[in-house]
Amino acid sequence: MAELDEHVVAPARLKLMTTLTAVSEAEFATVRDALEVSDSVLSKHLSALEEVDYVKRRKGLHRGRRTTWISLTPHGRKALSAHVGALRELINGID
Amino acid sequence: MESNEASAALDEAEASRAALAGRIATPPWFFTSMGAAIAVQIGTTAAGASDVTVWLLVAGVTVLAAVAGIQLARFRRLNGVWLGGFASRVVFGTGTVASVSYAAALGGAIWAAYGSRWWLVGLFSLAGGGAYALSGRRWLRTYRSEPADHARGESVAWLAALGVMAAAGLALLLINS
Repeated sequence: MAELDEHVVAPARLKLMTTLTAVSEAEFATVRDALEVSDSVLSKHLSALEEVDYVKRRKGLHRGRRTTWISLTPHGRKALSAHVGALRELINGID
Repeated sequence: MESNEASAALDEAEASRAALAGRIATPPWFFTSMGAAIAVQIGTTAAGASDVTVWLLVAGVTVLAAVAGIQLARFRRLNGVWLGGFASRVVFGTGTVASVSYAAALGGAIWAAYGSRWWLVGLFSLAGGGAYALSGRRWLRTYRSEPADHARGESVAWLAALGVMAAAGLALLLINS
């Protein structure tokens, strides 16, 4: 059976990474509103996922204001895919 | 982790992704302006190619590039996201329906222009612009139903290569005129 990824196992991180698969890049406030979390909670999860190279952040502009743009890395995309595969095995009861 | 916990976590994550994809919208008059810009570009290219009027060719491409750039900026500003699939499939027309209908309309318009059938040039241009806009609407519906499969478009390198080829073609026309 495939193993769950310890960096993505928290439901909030799974939700964050899955949501990011819908876009190439998203602005910080857009992601925060989509996940319905506070700035600090989102920042905490982003820092943890950035440390293992699952997401990347870059400074940019949105509506004329400086903000952060967030995207999944190719490594993060692979890790998410493997984690979701492991979750599906667990759900289907595959040993 | 228990099976029911895994199922709930996955369902919640997929619902969040679907909600974000569902909220993504185009700015007002997006498809109308893109369809009109394509129609102008097809018409000017056909007219310019038939009597080698370079300024017409350049004007059509400039209008299309300006409209595409403005609409992409408005899309990003409105949604707070960048969607590579949207940029390449809807705006740059790399989807099958958009590219085939564009090529057919452009070919037909050039053929009509060489015979000085200007009403037919207008008809092909409008048909090309309309098909382009409709294929964009279709892509958006497909994206909303399967966002993860359609979010990313062609690579930046591929789009840059297309841009270079288009610029080279235009330069050749300018040199030979």
